[in-house]
Amino acid sequence: MSFGALRTPVFNAGRAATLRPVVPIHTSRSIHTSKFVRAPETILTSTTSAKEPITSLAIRGSNQHSLETPQNKAEYVLSTLDKLVNWARQGSIWPMTFGLACCAVEMMHMAAARYDQDRLGVVFRASPRQSDVMIVAGTLTNKMAPALRKVYDQMPEPRWVVSMGSCANGGGYYHYSYAVVRGCDRIVPVDIYVPGCPPTAEALLYGMLQLQRKMRKNRKSVLWYRK
Amino acid sequence: MVSLARYIRNIRKTGVKQWWHQMQYIGDAKAGTLVGTDQFGNRYFENLNPEDEVPGRHRWVDFAQHYNNATQVPAEWHSWLQHIRQPPPTEDEAMKNLSPSWRAPWVENLTGTRGAYRSYNTVVPKINAWEPRVAARE
Repeated sequence: MSFGALRTPVFNAGRAATLRPVVPIHTSRSIHTSKFVRAPETILTSTTSAKEPITSLAIRGSNQHSLETPQNKAEYVLSTLDKLVNWARQGSIWPMTFGLACCAVEMMHMAAARYDQDRLGVVFRASPRQSDVMIVAGTLTNKMAPALRKVYDQMPEPRWVVSMGSCANGGGYYHYSYAVVRGCDRIVPVDIYVPGCPPTAEALLYGMLQLQRKMRKNRKSVLWYRK
Repeated sequence: MVSLARYIRNIRKTGVKQWWHQMQYIGDAKAGTLVGTDQFGNRYFENLNPEDEVPGRHRWVDFAQHYNNATQVPAEWHSWLQHIRQPPPTEDEAMKNLSPSWRAPWVENLTGTRGAYRSYNTVVPKINAWEPRVAARE
Protein backbone atom coordinates (compact mmCIF):
# COMPACT_ATOMS: atom_id res chain seq x y z
CA MET A 1 0.00 0.00 0.00
CA SER A 2 2.77 2.36 0.91
CA PHE A 3 4.44 1.66 -2.43
CA GLY A 4 1.21 2.41 -4.21
CA ALA A 5 0.85 5.71 -2.41
CA LEU A 6 4.39 6.61 -3.44
CA ARG A 7 3.94 5.51 -7.00
CA THR A 8 0.73 7.38 -7.70
CA PRO A 9 2.21 10.87 -8.08
CA VAL A 10 5.09 9.50 -10.15
CA PHE A 11 2.66 7.73 -12.42
CA ASN A 12 0.58 10.86 -12.76
CA ALA A 13 3.62 12.92 -13.63
CA GLY A 14 4.55 10.44 -16.32
CA ARG A 15 1.07 10.57 -17.78
CA ALA A 16 1.11 14.36 -17.79
CA ALA A 17 4.41 14.27 -19.67
CA THR A 18 3.03 11.92 -22.30
CA LEU A 19 -0.14 13.94 -22.69
CA ARG A 20 1.78 17.16 -23.13
CA PRO A 21 1.87 17.99 -26.84
CA VAL A 22 5.32 18.14 -28.40
CA VAL A 23 4.26 20.48 -31.20
CA PRO A 24 2.81 23.80 -29.94
CA ILE A 25 -0.88 24.03 -30.72
CA HIS A 26 -2.01 27.08 -32.68
CA THR A 27 -4.57 28.74 -30.50
CA SER A 28 -6.22 30.69 -33.28
CA ARG A 29 -7.17 29.71 -36.77
CA SER A 30 -6.76 32.14 -39.63
CA ILE A 31 -9.78 32.86 -41.81
CA HIS A 32 -7.54 32.31 -44.82
CA THR A 33 -6.60 28.73 -45.49
CA SER A 34 -4.05 29.29 -48.25
CA LYS A 35 -0.59 28.00 -47.40
CA PHE A 36 2.45 30.12 -46.59
CA VAL A 37 4.87 30.31 -49.49
CA ARG A 38 7.84 30.34 -47.11
CA ALA A 39 8.12 29.53 -43.43
CA PRO A 40 7.35 32.73 -41.48
CA GLU A 41 10.50 34.20 -39.95
CA THR A 42 10.53 35.30 -36.35
CA ILE A 43 9.73 38.99 -36.03
CA LEU A 44 9.87 41.34 -33.09
CA THR A 45 6.61 41.93 -31.25
CA SER A 46 7.43 45.50 -30.28
CA THR A 47 9.88 48.20 -31.21
CA THR A 48 10.47 51.82 -30.37
CA SER A 49 12.15 52.79 -33.61
CA ALA A 50 10.51 55.56 -35.61
CA LYS A 51 12.47 54.70 -38.75
CA GLU A 52 11.26 51.12 -38.79
CA PRO A 53 8.03 51.03 -36.78
CA ILE A 54 6.20 47.87 -35.77
CA THR A 55 3.76 48.30 -38.66
CA SER A 56 6.58 48.00 -41.21
CA LEU A 57 8.03 45.01 -39.35
CA ALA A 58 4.64 43.35 -39.39
CA ILE A 59 4.34 43.40 -43.20
CA ARG A 60 7.89 42.17 -43.76
CA GLY A 61 8.02 39.24 -46.15
CA SER A 62 4.40 39.62 -47.19
CA ASN A 63 2.99 40.04 -50.68
CA GLN A 64 2.03 43.60 -49.77
CA HIS A 65 5.64 44.42 -48.89
CA SER A 66 6.75 42.95 -52.23
CA LEU A 67 4.21 45.12 -54.08
CA GLU A 68 5.36 48.23 -52.25
CA THR A 69 9.00 47.74 -53.23
CA PRO A 70 9.41 48.30 -56.98
CA GLN A 71 11.88 45.98 -58.68
CA ASN A 72 12.44 47.81 -61.95
CA LYS A 73 11.81 51.16 -63.62
CA ALA A 74 8.38 50.29 -64.99
CA GLU A 75 7.24 49.18 -61.56
CA TYR A 76 8.67 52.34 -60.06
CA VAL A 77 6.57 54.47 -62.41
CA LEU A 78 3.46 52.37 -61.90
CA SER A 79 3.73 52.34 -58.12
CA THR A 80 4.21 56.10 -58.15
CA LEU A 81 1.04 56.40 -60.22
CA ASP A 82 -0.67 54.14 -57.73
CA LYS A 83 0.43 56.37 -54.89
CA LEU A 84 -0.96 59.37 -56.75
CA VAL A 85 -4.29 57.62 -57.17
CA ASN A 86 -4.27 56.62 -53.51
CA TRP A 87 -3.54 60.18 -52.47
CA ALA A 88 -6.50 61.42 -54.50
CA ARG A 89 -8.80 58.74 -53.15
CA GLN A 90 -7.92 59.11 -49.51
CA GLY A 91 -8.27 62.87 -49.70
CA SER A 92 -11.88 62.75 -50.86
CA ILE A 93 -13.76 59.94 -49.22
CA TRP A 94 -17.41 60.57 -49.92
CA PRO A 95 -19.53 58.34 -47.74
CA MET A 96 -22.98 57.15 -48.64
CA THR A 97 -24.94 57.55 -45.43
CA PHE A 98 -26.81 54.41 -44.60
CA GLY A 99 -28.08 55.56 -41.22
CA LEU A 100 -30.36 52.94 -39.74
CA ALA A 101 -30.43 53.57 -35.99
CA CYS A 102 -28.75 55.42 -33.11
CA CYS A 103 -25.32 54.99 -34.74
CA ALA A 104 -26.50 57.46 -37.36
CA VAL A 105 -26.60 60.15 -34.69
CA GLU A 106 -22.92 59.54 -33.94
CA MET A 107 -22.26 59.61 -37.67
CA MET A 108 -23.86 63.06 -37.74
CA HIS A 109 -21.60 64.10 -34.88
CA MET A 110 -18.61 63.16 -37.00
CA ALA A 111 -19.85 65.66 -39.56
CA ALA A 112 -20.47 68.37 -36.98
CA ALA A 113 -18.08 71.06 -35.80
CA ARG A 114 -16.17 69.20 -33.10
CA TYR A 115 -14.83 66.25 -35.11
CA ASP A 116 -15.28 67.99 -38.45
CA GLN A 117 -14.92 65.29 -41.08
CA ASP A 118 -14.67 67.93 -43.84
CA ARG A 119 -11.03 68.62 -42.98
CA LEU A 120 -10.25 65.07 -44.17
CA GLY A 121 -12.30 65.53 -47.31
CA VAL A 122 -15.05 63.29 -45.99
CA VAL A 123 -18.28 64.78 -47.31
CA PHE A 124 -21.66 63.07 -47.03
CA ARG A 125 -23.22 62.38 -50.38
CA ALA A 126 -26.83 61.31 -50.45
CA SER A 127 -26.58 59.54 -53.79
CA PRO A 128 -24.94 56.10 -54.00
CA ARG A 129 -23.85 56.75 -57.59
CA GLN A 130 -21.41 59.48 -56.58
CA SER A 131 -20.08 58.03 -53.34
CA ASP A 132 -17.01 55.93 -52.49
CA VAL A 133 -17.80 54.54 -49.07
CA MET A 134 -20.95 53.21 -47.51
CA ILE A 135 -21.17 53.63 -43.75
CA VAL A 136 -23.66 51.07 -42.48
CA ALA A 137 -24.73 52.71 -39.23
CA GLY A 138 -27.19 50.71 -37.21
CA THR A 139 -29.23 47.53 -37.08
CA LEU A 140 -29.67 45.89 -40.44
CA THR A 141 -33.02 44.14 -40.50
CA ASN A 142 -34.08 41.41 -42.88
CA LYS A 143 -36.49 43.82 -44.49
CA MET A 144 -33.78 46.42 -45.09
CA ALA A 145 -31.16 43.96 -46.36
CA PRO A 146 -32.28 43.86 -50.04
CA ALA A 147 -32.36 47.66 -50.08
CA LEU A 148 -28.84 47.80 -48.65
CA ARG A 149 -27.56 45.42 -51.29
CA LYS A 150 -29.30 47.38 -54.02
CA VAL A 151 -27.73 50.63 -52.86
CA TYR A 152 -24.32 48.95 -52.63
CA ASP A 153 -24.68 47.63 -56.18
CA GLN A 154 -25.44 51.14 -57.40
CA MET A 155 -22.13 52.47 -56.07
CA PRO A 156 -19.32 52.77 -58.64
CA GLU A 157 -16.01 50.95 -58.23
CA PRO A 158 -13.81 51.35 -56.25
CA ARG A 159 -16.10 51.17 -53.25
CA TRP A 160 -15.60 50.49 -49.59
CA VAL A 161 -17.91 49.62 -46.75
CA VAL A 162 -17.54 50.72 -43.14
CA SER A 163 -19.60 48.67 -40.71
CA MET A 164 -20.42 50.90 -37.77
CA GLY A 165 -21.49 49.61 -34.39
CA SER A 166 -22.25 46.23 -32.84
CA CYS A 167 -25.49 45.73 -34.76
CA ALA A 168 -23.88 46.18 -38.17
CA ASN A 169 -20.80 44.19 -37.13
CA GLY A 170 -22.58 41.09 -35.94
CA GLY A 171 -26.16 41.72 -34.95
CA GLY A 172 -25.18 43.14 -31.58
CA TYR A 173 -28.03 43.46 -29.13
CA TYR A 174 -30.50 42.07 -31.67
CA HIS A 175 -28.35 39.07 -32.59
CA TYR A 176 -31.04 36.55 -31.59
CA SER A 177 -33.93 38.40 -33.15
CA TYR A 178 -35.69 36.67 -36.02
CA ALA A 179 -35.92 39.95 -37.91
CA VAL A 180 -32.30 41.06 -37.90
CA VAL A 181 -29.34 40.21 -40.15
CA ARG A 182 -26.47 38.97 -37.98
CA GLY A 183 -23.89 41.37 -39.32
CA CYS A 184 -23.98 43.37 -42.54
CA ASP A 185 -20.99 41.35 -43.82
CA ARG A 186 -23.54 38.71 -44.73
CA ILE A 187 -24.91 41.12 -47.33
CA VAL A 188 -21.94 43.25 -48.45
CA PRO A 189 -18.14 42.87 -48.14
CA VAL A 190 -16.93 45.02 -45.26
CA ASP A 191 -13.57 46.80 -45.12
CA ILE A 192 -13.58 48.44 -41.70
CA TYR A 193 -15.43 47.29 -38.60
CA VAL A 194 -15.92 50.02 -36.01
CA PRO A 195 -16.78 48.48 -32.62
CA GLY A 196 -19.03 50.16 -30.08
CA CYS A 197 -22.67 50.53 -29.14
CA PRO A 198 -22.81 53.11 -30.56
CA PRO A 199 -19.19 53.96 -31.38
CA THR A 200 -18.25 57.52 -30.55
CA ALA A 201 -17.83 59.99 -33.38
CA GLU A 202 -14.13 59.89 -32.54
CA ALA A 203 -14.08 56.12 -33.04
CA LEU A 204 -15.82 56.42 -36.39
CA LEU A 205 -13.36 59.10 -37.45
CA TYR A 206 -10.54 56.78 -36.42
CA GLY A 207 -12.21 54.13 -38.57
CA MET A 208 -12.13 56.52 -41.51
CA LEU A 209 -8.42 57.09 -40.87
CA GLN A 210 -7.92 53.33 -40.90
CA LEU A 211 -9.77 53.23 -44.20
CA GLN A 212 -7.31 55.82 -45.51
CA ARG A 213 -4.54 53.49 -44.37
CA LYS A 214 -6.17 50.69 -46.31
CA MET A 215 -6.52 52.87 -49.42
CA ARG A 216 -2.83 53.76 -49.15
CA LYS A 217 -1.89 50.11 -49.61
CA ASN A 218 -3.44 49.87 -53.05
CA ARG A 219 -0.92 48.87 -55.76
CA LYS A 220 -3.32 47.74 -58.42
CA SER A 221 -1.29 48.72 -61.48
CA VAL A 222 1.86 47.03 -60.12
CA LEU A 223 -0.22 43.93 -59.58
CA TRP A 224 -1.49 44.16 -63.15
CA TYR A 225 2.08 44.61 -64.46
CA ARG A 226 3.43 41.63 -62.59
CA LYS A 227 0.70 39.38 -63.85
CA MET B 1 -6.97 83.08 -29.83
CA VAL B 2 -6.37 82.25 -33.43
CA SER B 3 -5.10 85.30 -35.23
CA LEU B 4 -2.53 86.26 -37.84
CA ALA B 5 -0.43 87.97 -35.15
CA ARG B 6 -0.33 84.73 -33.14
CA TYR B 7 0.58 82.75 -36.24
CA ILE B 8 3.52 85.00 -37.08
CA ARG B 9 4.57 85.15 -33.42
CA ASN B 10 4.65 81.35 -33.26
CA ILE B 11 6.71 81.10 -36.45
CA ARG B 12 9.22 83.50 -34.93
CA LYS B 13 9.31 81.46 -31.72
CA THR B 14 9.75 78.03 -33.28
CA GLY B 15 11.70 78.85 -36.42
CA VAL B 16 10.89 78.31 -40.07
CA LYS B 17 11.95 74.65 -40.16
CA GLN B 18 9.72 73.70 -37.27
CA TRP B 19 6.90 75.79 -38.76
CA TRP B 20 7.14 73.87 -42.04
CA HIS B 21 7.14 70.56 -40.16
CA GLN B 22 4.08 71.61 -38.16
CA MET B 23 2.21 72.76 -41.25
CA GLN B 24 2.77 69.32 -42.79
CA TYR B 25 1.54 67.37 -39.76
CA ILE B 26 -0.43 69.54 -37.33
CA GLY B 27 -1.74 72.12 -39.77
CA ASP B 28 -1.13 75.08 -37.49
CA ALA B 29 1.83 77.06 -36.18
CA LYS B 30 2.02 76.19 -32.51
CA ALA B 31 4.62 77.15 -29.94
CA GLY B 32 4.88 75.70 -26.46
CA THR B 33 7.14 74.13 -23.90
CA LEU B 34 8.41 70.63 -24.57
CA VAL B 35 7.01 68.63 -21.67
CA GLY B 36 8.52 65.30 -22.54
CA THR B 37 9.35 62.64 -25.08
CA ASP B 38 8.11 59.07 -24.94
CA GLN B 39 9.97 55.88 -25.85
CA PHE B 40 8.90 56.16 -29.51
CA GLY B 41 10.26 59.67 -29.94
CA ASN B 42 6.86 61.38 -29.97
CA ARG B 43 7.19 64.85 -28.46
CA TYR B 44 4.59 66.36 -26.15
CA PHE B 45 4.00 70.06 -25.82
CA GLU B 46 1.97 72.35 -23.61
CA ASN B 47 1.10 76.01 -23.74
CA LEU B 48 -1.16 77.27 -20.98
CA ASN B 49 -1.20 80.89 -22.14
CA PRO B 50 -4.78 81.66 -23.28
CA GLU B 51 -3.39 84.39 -25.55
CA ASP B 52 -1.63 81.69 -27.57
CA GLU B 53 -3.87 78.66 -27.42
CA VAL B 54 -7.59 78.21 -26.99
CA PRO B 55 -8.25 76.11 -23.87
CA GLY B 56 -8.65 72.54 -25.12
CA ARG B 57 -5.88 72.92 -27.67
CA HIS B 58 -3.23 73.59 -25.05
CA ARG B 59 -1.69 70.10 -25.03
CA TRP B 60 -0.57 68.43 -28.20
CA VAL B 61 1.68 65.72 -29.58
CA ASP B 62 4.17 65.86 -32.43
CA PHE B 63 4.40 62.31 -33.78
CA ALA B 64 7.70 60.70 -34.68
CA GLN B 65 6.31 58.68 -37.57
CA HIS B 66 5.19 60.03 -40.91
CA TYR B 67 2.05 57.92 -41.02
CA ASN B 68 0.82 58.67 -37.55
CA ASN B 69 -2.30 57.76 -35.67
CA ALA B 70 -3.59 58.18 -32.15
CA THR B 71 -2.65 54.67 -31.02
CA GLN B 72 1.04 55.55 -31.28
CA VAL B 73 0.64 57.46 -28.02
CA PRO B 74 1.40 55.10 -25.11
CA ALA B 75 -1.04 54.83 -22.22
CA GLU B 76 0.83 57.07 -19.75
CA TRP B 77 1.08 59.93 -22.20
CA HIS B 78 -2.48 59.39 -23.35
CA SER B 79 -3.63 60.03 -19.80
CA TRP B 80 -1.71 63.29 -19.80
CA LEU B 81 -2.83 64.33 -23.25
CA GLN B 82 -6.51 63.74 -22.48
CA HIS B 83 -6.29 65.44 -19.04
CA ILE B 84 -6.88 62.24 -17.09
CA ARG B 85 -3.71 63.07 -15.13
CA GLN B 86 -2.60 66.62 -14.44
CA PRO B 87 1.22 66.23 -14.28
CA PRO B 88 3.08 64.53 -17.17
CA PRO B 89 4.21 60.91 -16.56
CA THR B 90 7.82 62.05 -16.19
CA GLU B 91 6.87 64.06 -13.08
CA ASP B 92 3.80 62.16 -11.89
CA GLU B 93 4.73 60.25 -8.71
CA ALA B 94 1.80 57.86 -8.97
CA MET B 95 2.66 57.07 -12.61
CA LYS B 96 6.37 56.60 -11.83
CA ASN B 97 5.68 54.15 -9.01
CA LEU B 98 3.18 52.25 -11.11
CA SER B 99 5.06 49.79 -13.27
CA PRO B 100 3.52 46.35 -12.82
CA SER B 101 5.70 43.43 -13.85
CA TRP B 102 2.98 41.99 -16.06
CA ARG B 103 2.73 45.07 -18.24
CA ALA B 104 3.54 44.37 -21.88
CA PRO B 105 5.34 46.93 -24.07
CA TRP B 106 3.05 49.35 -25.85
CA VAL B 107 2.22 48.37 -29.42
CA GLU B 108 0.27 50.57 -31.79
CA ASN B 109 -2.74 49.40 -33.76
CA LEU B 110 -1.66 46.68 -36.16
CA THR B 111 -4.89 46.25 -38.07
CA GLY B 112 -4.41 45.47 -41.73
CA THR B 113 -0.98 43.90 -41.15
CA ARG B 114 0.13 40.42 -40.23
CA GLY B 115 0.29 41.49 -36.62
CA ALA B 116 -3.45 42.13 -36.47
CA TYR B 117 -5.25 40.62 -33.53
CA ARG B 118 -7.27 37.53 -34.28
CA SER B 119 -9.49 36.15 -31.61
CA TYR B 120 -9.70 32.48 -30.71
CA ASN B 121 -11.83 30.92 -33.39
CA THR B 122 -12.98 27.39 -34.13
CA VAL B 123 -15.55 28.29 -36.76
CA VAL B 124 -15.14 26.89 -40.27
CA PRO B 125 -13.27 29.53 -42.31
CA LYS B 126 -15.41 31.81 -44.46
CA ILE B 127 -12.76 32.34 -47.14
CA ASN B 128 -11.01 29.40 -48.79
CA ALA B 129 -8.29 29.26 -51.41
CA TRP B 130 -9.63 27.97 -54.69
CA GLU B 131 -8.61 24.40 -55.24
CA PRO B 132 -10.23 23.29 -58.50
CA ARG B 133 -11.71 19.85 -58.63
CA VAL B 134 -12.35 18.33 -62.03
CA ALA B 135 -15.38 16.10 -62.21
CA ALA B 136 -14.79 12.70 -63.74
CA ARG B 137 -15.95 12.39 -67.36
CA GLU B 138 -18.57 9.78 -68.04
